[in-house]
Amino acid sequence: MGIRIKFWGVRGSIPSPGPDTVRYGGNTICLEARCGKADRLVIIDAGSGIRSLGNSLMAADVADGLREVDIFLTHTHWDHILGFPFFAPLYIPGMTVRIHGSSSYEENHLEKVIGGQFMYRYFPVRVEELASIIEYVELGEGAFDLGEGLLLRTKRLNHPVSCMGYRFECDGKSFATVFDMEPFQNLFEAEKSGSAFDERLAREGEETAAEQNRLVETFYAGADLIIHDAQYTRREYHTARKGWGHSAVEDVIEAAQGNRVKRLALIHHDPERTDDQIDELAGKFHTEGSSDEVMDVFFAREGMEITL
Amino acid sequence: MERSLQRDSIPTNRIERYMARMPSLPVTVNRVMEICNSPSTSPYDLNRVISLDPVLTGQVLRLVNSAYYGLRNEVTSLPRAIIMLGMNTIKNLVVSSAILSTMSGRDDVHALDMDAFWLHSLSAAVAAKRLAACIKIPAENQEEYFVGGLLHDLGKIPLNSLFPSEYAEIMAEAPQKGTDLCEKERKFLGIDHTQVGGMIAEKWKLGVAIEDCLRLHHESLSASERNVDRVRIVALADLCARRFGPDNAGTCCFDEEAVDMMRLALSIDQTDLDDLRETMADEIEKAMIFLHIAGGDHGDKD
Repeated sequence: MGIRIKFWGVRGSIPSPGPDTVRYGGNTICLEARCGKADRLVIIDAGSGIRSLGNSLMAADVADGLREVDIFLTHTHWDHILGFPFFAPLYIPGMTVRIHGSSSYEENHLEKVIGGQFMYRYFPVRVEELASIIEYVELGEGAFDLGEGLLLRTKRLNHPVSCMGYRFECDGKSFATVFDMEPFQNLFEAEKSGSAFDERLAREGEETAAEQNRLVETFYAGADLIIHDAQYTRREYHTARKGWGHSAVEDVIEAAQGNRVKRLALIHHDPERTDDQIDELAGKFHTEGSSDEVMDVFFAREGMEITL
Repeated sequence: MERSLQRDSIPTNRIERYMARMPSLPVTVNRVMEICNSPSTSPYDLNRVISLDPVLTGQVLRLVNSAYYGLRNEVTSLPRAIIMLGMNTIKNLVVSSAILSTMSGRDDVHALDMDAFWLHSLSAAVAAKRLAACIKIPAENQEEYFVGGLLHDLGKIPLNSLFPSEYAEIMAEAPQKGTDLCEKERKFLGIDHTQVGGMIAEKWKLGVAIEDCLRLHHESLSASERNVDRVRIVALADLCARRFGPDNAGTCCFDEEAVDMMRLALSIDQTDLDDLRETMADEIEKAMIFLHIAGGDHGDKD
């Protein structure tokens, strides 16, 4: 009952193996969630962590008859899809893998991007040669009944490509993924002395950004767990990393605290961030709680499991 | 002999297919590419270049109002759409429309002179915004009138591209008065540009207000009570653009009576209309400078 979550990859940008990332892990993002009485499997993102998840499924679930897998891609940047060709269940006859992801202005863009990896120029197996069937489901913002008591809500996030936040609800428990995400910004000149300053644009830019940030907070408010992009510290963010599409630890904690979130997992660790540095950040920002008053804040670690 | 398409044979599905991949206007293509390919694209420039092209404006608003975003109210503001969708998505979207425009080629024989179409659309947009100020529409809402004016003739683009020879005959025969043009379009093609404009606005979910501007600007008395002023403003802006706009050089027929009726219905002074000529000329000149295109004689066009 409830929801169980396992982190198979927590790193951002690019797999970062090595002695400095052994404890938190170097694989890029992949989460496994098991929901409700049916133990419904939901996979979020197909970073390099999905290889180990696939092997684990082969040893247990697939052997027990699993023939349908749902993967929810937050977006199609490389670090979130590069593990997909190494997902072993793809090579099982009779397996159906459903890829859910954000719609775009282009038709069939998920199929083009994900299926497009299976070409000889990138990979030795073509999509036609796969034993499984891949289906693509493009999502807009909204609420969706996934069956077996599992509900999904979606919200677009601010990232330099179409990017979707997911909120799963089951058995009265909920968790939301908010990555990759930089707070919405007013992109127009805000300084009155600036050469491109236009009062209407500046005002509309500020209003729109504030409104969208409020909507993201409403989207995850009250969740038992949110898993949020926190690639930078505030100082790093303001040092030439604005517009890169990621959040600062301090900003994420502040926003979550004001929205009745019980637990906050920080994820998408910078590839340059060593284990010792994450420990140092954890020493500064970690809090233990799991109630509306005191939020549990922690840095996600590869292999970590959480039960809601 | 007139070659008219039968009413039943009008392939609205062809129009709908075309709507999904509508090219931007040739006049903006170079500047769109230049701005989007710059490593440090300015949101101000991106907003400006989109706001000068009815197709790009429509496409961006279409995306933000589609199921892509879960919105309760339509977005009719470009700056808002740019922040919600992000610069990269907008750049990708407008570049694809611009590429379609380069692929369709500037030399295709089409009835509609696309440069003149652009001048007329922009003139009507400028006029609509100015007239909105005259009837005391708050500054933050005046941009919606600009968009209504910019997009009002969008329905001509699919007709011109999909039925070039028929449209050439229509343009040759139709006196340059909007209602007659609509009649000719319906006679030859079974559908007119206001109906096609309404289809576009509906399909692209541009909202009832803009849809009414596209669908009813030649019969502004039919507008719903809620949008009647907006439609009349766009209709009057259309007439003024034909009279004063640089696309026209003042040579085409001009329905003085219609202008007076509309002006009085909206309680707009004649002096306000007189000021429009200069406003339009200034804004067109600024747009041309921004787009890096030369001015000059733009002929006598609808």
